[in-house]
Amino acid sequence: MQRNILGTRIPAGMHDFLPAELGILEKLEGKLLDRLRRWGYQKVLTPALEYAACVQPELDKDDELYKFFDRQGHILALRPEFTTPIARMVGARLRTLSLPLRFCYAGDVYRSSSAQYREFRQVGVELIGSGSALADAEVIALAAEGMRELGVADCQLNLGHMGIFMGLMSELGVPSEVQGALEEKLARKDLVGIESLVRQSDLSDQAKEILLKLPYLHGGEEILDELVRFSKQAEIREAVNGLREVYGYLKDFGVQDMVALDLGILRGFSYYTGVIFEGYVPGVGFPVVEGGRYDALYGDFGFPQPATGFAIHLGSLLGLFPHDGLEPAGVLVYGADRSEVIRRAQALRSEGKRVEMAFEVVSPEVEERWVEEKNISRVEKV
Amino acid sequence: MPRNFLTIALPKGKLLEDSLDVLSQAGLACRDVNEDSRKLLFEFPEQAAQIVICRPTDIPTYVEYGAADLGFVGKDTLLEENKDVAELLDLKFGYCRFVVAMPEEKVPPRQADGSFDLTSLNHQRVATKFPRVAQTFFSELGMQVTPIKLHGNIELAPRVGLAEMIVDIVSTGTTLRQNHLVEVAPILEATTRVIANRVSYRMKYKRIQELVERLREAQGLGDS
Repeated sequence: MQRNILGTRIPAGMHDFLPAELGILEKLEGKLLDRLRRWGYQKVLTPALEYAACVQPELDKDDELYKFFDRQGHILALRPEFTTPIARMVGARLRTLSLPLRFCYAGDVYRSSSAQYREFRQVGVELIGSGSALADAEVIALAAEGMRELGVADCQLNLGHMGIFMGLMSELGVPSEVQGALEEKLARKDLVGIESLVRQSDLSDQAKEILLKLPYLHGGEEILDELVRFSKQAEIREAVNGLREVYGYLKDFGVQDMVALDLGILRGFSYYTGVIFEGYVPGVGFPVVEGGRYDALYGDFGFPQPATGFAIHLGSLLGLFPHDGLEPAGVLVYGADRSEVIRRAQALRSEGKRVEMAFEVVSPEVEERWVEEKNISRVEKV
Repeated sequence: MPRNFLTIALPKGKLLEDSLDVLSQAGLACRDVNEDSRKLLFEFPEQAAQIVICRPTDIPTYVEYGAADLGFVGKDTLLEENKDVAELLDLKFGYCRFVVAMPEEKVPPRQADGSFDLTSLNHQRVATKFPRVAQTFFSELGMQVTPIKLHGNIELAPRVGLAEMIVDIVSTGTTLRQNHLVEVAPILEATTRVIANRVSYRMKYKRIQELVERLREAQGLGDS
């Protein structure tokens, strides 16, 4: 049937990959997965369709899921990320394995409100069953190595900690309605809103000062000293010590030069509970790496375990690479005797060559065009 | 391009003059930028910066994608565009208010506290340049209205029956009066804000923070 206008298009935010571009994507993905496997991460894959109750438990929240109904009337959703589906999978099927578990993944995720692509490739890891600072350091170092492996040497990873904001809230005795408003503004990165909220509050001057300063604490270990001077609170001490330990290990891993401490990473209050990090690349307006510790998520699936991980947004990085990902040049075989053409082509293939057969005898002009278009280095007439 | 190079997006129109003033006071020599010439891009290589002039409503988009590191934009536009950008500083100029207004002969009755009783406006049409702001305001009151998006001369809509009321920004109220419209509810107040791309804000942190501090001083905001 002749397609109508809609039938010849693709939905907003979707993307066709032609050979050259797909070649790049797969090359990058292959490099990354190799690196992740070398650190002991095993690849898993969860389905593209999940129950919405798994990936978005708070259905009343304004979300960015693609949702569908199945025949029984249940709400299904395309996965918006891999961390939650992997938690579901581990909680349901892998509880008896020895901890920690190391899994990696590569696949497309779907977000209907995303400014860029709405279907994009993520490659990432989950490290499940360890709350140690070394586990945090391992995934951060692996993210850094992964970015180096991709050839994005000027990637910068910024490292923060969710416990510092939460600790400040309880230390300063911030009333819960103010905390809620602050979290909302923090998630929107609305520093103007935070400033006016804090200034209008009944908090002490010292509390106001530290809250207003928090988004600007950025640099090396000296910012942790600065924070500790402000606060005696246990949760903050713990967060600061955790960050110090992680930062130290990153030196041992040889990636500390790519990492900055940054207490101003403004993240909505998602599932993250401890160390969080984001990776940036000059020229890409969105974070290309997102990760951190999420110690409460596995409890939601009846298997309370600390966990940490990251995802690299491979799709956002594609623009940094020239689209020359074509297969290595091949051989074109043609001739008048078709049986002979088949035998020659098969013989070359068994030697590992990439071979295309022409079904007819081709003219020199056609030959010339194919050599150009199909990246062919040799033509054999048999 | 060096790592600390800054691209700043400024809105053409009424905010441009004040934006340039405050930027110059903050040490960026950008006096020769103006929108009368057809130029849209002004380079300041010795200051490692460039300024682009955009339509106000496009500024959040330039900044969200990182095409501009910083943008100057009215809070009204920022709310309506709802982009993922960091809002760094209130420059306090370009003050205006969002209001709901209606033809004077149709205003609803007042309540005991003097405010208008808006409940009779349920299910009516609202002409506005800011459908998101309008929708949010009315849904927070538990009301349903139908926003009708227009691009200008909003005050005309009720006079010809396109909508029962309007949501618009006012600075003095003259336009409302000239069109026999009465403000029936304030929504919120807006001033010009400095916004930053979320990656630039972390990668060009020092440069941006320095500029923001100087802008803050230039505005005489201090810690008042």
